[in-house]
Amino acid sequence: MKIKGRVPTTVSGWGALALFSVLLLVLPSSFLVIRIFQPASENWEHIREYMLQNYMMDTLLLAFWTGLFSVAIGTALAWIVSAYDFPFRGTLKWALLMPLAIPPYIGAYTYHGMLNYTGVIQVTLRDHFDTEVSQRYFDIMNMPGAVFIFTIFLYPYIYAITRAFFARQATSLVENARVLGSGPVRTFLYVVVPVARGAIVAGVTLVVLEVLNDYGVVSYFGIQTFSTAIFQTWFAFGDLDAAIKLAGILMGIVLVLLLLEKFLRGRRQFSYSNTKVSPLKPQSLKGWQKWLTVAFTGSIFCLGFVIPVAQLTYWSVLTYEDIFSETFLTLIRNSALAAGTAALGVVVIAVVIANFTRMAKGVVPAVTSRLTVLGYSIPGAVIAVGVISFFIYLDEKLAALYDLTGASSALVLSTSLIMLLFAYIIRFMAVGYNSIEAGFDKIGMKFTEASRTLGMGWTETFLRVDLKMIRPAVFSGFILVFVDILKELPLTLILRPFNFETLASMAYRYASDERIQEAALSSMFIVLVSGIAMFIFHILIEKEPN
Amino acid sequence: MKKSFWFLLVMAAAALFVLAACGGGAENNDSGGTEEGTENTEENTETEAGTEDETAAENSGDEVVNLYTSRHYDTDEDLYEKFTEETGIEVNVISGKADELIERLEREGENTEGDVFITADAGRLHRAKEAGILQAVESDVLSENVPENYRDEDNQWFGLTKRARIIAYDPERVNEEELSTYEALADDEWEGRVLIRSSDNIYNQSLVASLIAINGTEETKVWAEGIVNNMARDPQGGDRDQAKGVAAGEGDVAVMNSYYYGHMLNSAEDEEVKVAEGLEIFFPNQETTGTHVNVSGAGVINNSPNKEAAVQFIEFLSSPEAQGEFSEANYEFPVNPEVEPSELLQSWGDFKEQDINLTQLGENNKEALMLMNEVGWK
Repeated sequence: MKIKGRVPTTVSGWGALALFSVLLLVLPSSFLVIRIFQPASENWEHIREYMLQNYMMDTLLLAFWTGLFSVAIGTALAWIVSAYDFPFRGTLKWALLMPLAIPPYIGAYTYHGMLNYTGVIQVTLRDHFDTEVSQRYFDIMNMPGAVFIFTIFLYPYIYAITRAFFARQATSLVENARVLGSGPVRTFLYVVVPVARGAIVAGVTLVVLEVLNDYGVVSYFGIQTFSTAIFQTWFAFGDLDAAIKLAGILMGIVLVLLLLEKFLRGRRQFSYSNTKVSPLKPQSLKGWQKWLTVAFTGSIFCLGFVIPVAQLTYWSVLTYEDIFSETFLTLIRNSALAAGTAALGVVVIAVVIANFTRMAKGVVPAVTSRLTVLGYSIPGAVIAVGVISFFIYLDEKLAALYDLTGASSALVLSTSLIMLLFAYIIRFMAVGYNSIEAGFDKIGMKFTEASRTLGMGWTETFLRVDLKMIRPAVFSGFILVFVDILKELPLTLILRPFNFETLASMAYRYASDERIQEAALSSMFIVLVSGIAMFIFHILIEKEPN
Repeated sequence: MKKSFWFLLVMAAAALFVLAACGGGAENNDSGGTEEGTENTEENTETEAGTEDETAAENSGDEVVNLYTSRHYDTDEDLYEKFTEETGIEVNVISGKADELIERLEREGENTEGDVFITADAGRLHRAKEAGILQAVESDVLSENVPENYRDEDNQWFGLTKRARIIAYDPERVNEEELSTYEALADDEWEGRVLIRSSDNIYNQSLVASLIAINGTEETKVWAEGIVNNMARDPQGGDRDQAKGVAAGEGDVAVMNSYYYGHMLNSAEDEEVKVAEGLEIFFPNQETTGTHVNVSGAGVINNSPNKEAAVQFIEFLSSPEAQGEFSEANYEFPVNPEVEPSELLQSWGDFKEQDINLTQLGENNKEALMLMNEVGWK
């Protein structure tokens, strides 16, 4: 890590490590970026004429409405839970995170399963109330339906990040506002939201990126977005170059979004002003206010978790005997193993890079930080192609080495689990990185500078001061990534080694074949494992001393 | 709500135990570790060495066949097990979306470990051939088991099972006499009554491709325009959703695959069975060009390290034993003319099939898709 000679500072050690990591992250994508500039094919004309405009419109509409609603719900919930005391608050605190354990595509299948003609609602109406209600009122497979699905399953990104912020950050400002006689609405709009702007924007960025990247929900609902266009162009026209051009446009949109994020977060820093960081003291709610709050938070939890899980449980019971076997345990282990390892990788790399971009000023760190999160904006399938190209290239270069060790196959790396893990890390770097960067933002530089002034080196300061302070951010980054990987589909499907089946790939096998009842058991396990992960880490974070 | 919370907690605790229990168990061998193979002393004979793949060496048999498949039915897995029992050849599987597997195989090129490629659409099999990832196979068994129009002209792929694209209708709102052909569904009398999936869907693409082969591009484009006009709603959902749309009264006829209808009849959910039982099915174009039929099929991968085993494997899948299984458990029609379809399929009656070589589905695929985009078929 240390470079001996004329560059003695450890900053350059951190820098070298960070830059190396970024290079590794970007390399596979650059295999593709070069191809954006290839001359347009005949297909491109067709796409531009018939597809592009609609797709752009639908994509933007979907991202906009989902973003808006999830900000509203996520921020409101985070605030309510942080600032008020009401029955079930302790439970709801973590329960409101749980919808994140349900992948939107599974949520979409489940809700459609409940609302369609053979679903539980219509059947109950028919059989018990003897009423035929037109199916049109229950139609969820359209734009508003998709907005609902994405909002209800993705708002926890905003909730989690904003709440973490409220819990440790907003106390003195809010208490001052209260003392000065500001009402709850006023406090929320004029003090809380502006202060939490950074956290909210970080959260909504994740939500929007997730929406832009989704293929499962939109293709199932028949909504034509950019990702549909990319897949159709690549596969149906067999035109990877045109697909990459489309992906390029999508990345352009994302880049604008990310710049916007930086801009919206603003230059103001709200770092700890003193060592006394105390949590917000919740106010007790009384009477109707209390029950309204319980009803609101409770119904969000029900819509985002209880109802779909109940439906999945019912289906699981229906199909349990056919589906469950010993191989199921292997599936769980594979999923946990892959997600755990890759999430660890993400967190370590994210800390290294974030620490570097924080210490060093200038263009290089700024660019580094943006490049790190770029992977999140590239569709999974496109990353897969980049990663495969990259690993096969590596295998070719390493062929001589393989000969020496007597390996039987010429493809060592590209048939191993490493390739999949590597792709996960690229894809979900942004999730971990944003969380950790926000953590660093939060603690500011004061303590670091103090430690430096007192004679500790950068690395020592990092280990003994910074790392301890950002631990909650590291944990929350880890959970988010872990859960994301557990749910991930395209990369898992394309890049896994022989016979490596995960819960998600199993659920997909059934769901894609319209066998949603059979898909329920694997889906349940995804939800369960993600749910446990989120619960454990919620406890860890809560226990964290201030 | 409180109950469900406790329920959840108990489930969570239980699952935690399971995780802890198997987490400490034997390390899995799925990672790259299988390649270390220091015992393998053979040099520079990669294709030979491939058959002694370590993945297989740790199993009982010596031989393996590595399978890339986009089919994912329990039936298939049972058949792989049977194959291993009969031949001692181990079957390793990577499953995924067809197009992505093709892309992966292309990239792996001559170093691939893949032996057999299986997918559920003739258009995609053709795409694989065009991509150059398949090789020609000479096999008497396959020539005998798979009729000529269900295999590639150059014997690069072989159809294994058939599905028909049928019309499901509500007998109360539609009289069987009203139904005749795919073409007729574009007529004015069907305005606002037709349920069909999006242009994204490969089965629709193949249907349109077959009509292009039979009626030509111009006529098919006019037809597609008519279908778009007659749609009961914007295309959404899968084949089963089209059938449910008819049951719900959103439309009167649904275009869907025969095997989904079979699955609905045997669904775990009673309501789905009810829907299917309330519908009748119709095989279109019986008086004219025949019902559109598509296949699932397999091909040997171009640089297959275990070619012999690969051919043996495909031959097994075309055998009467396997073909019967496909038909019985997965409601697909066997390609092997020697094999009778299952009882359920027989109850649907004999029907005349489109008389085109399925290679054309692949050749016309792009044209079909462009045409659908142009007429605004979502």
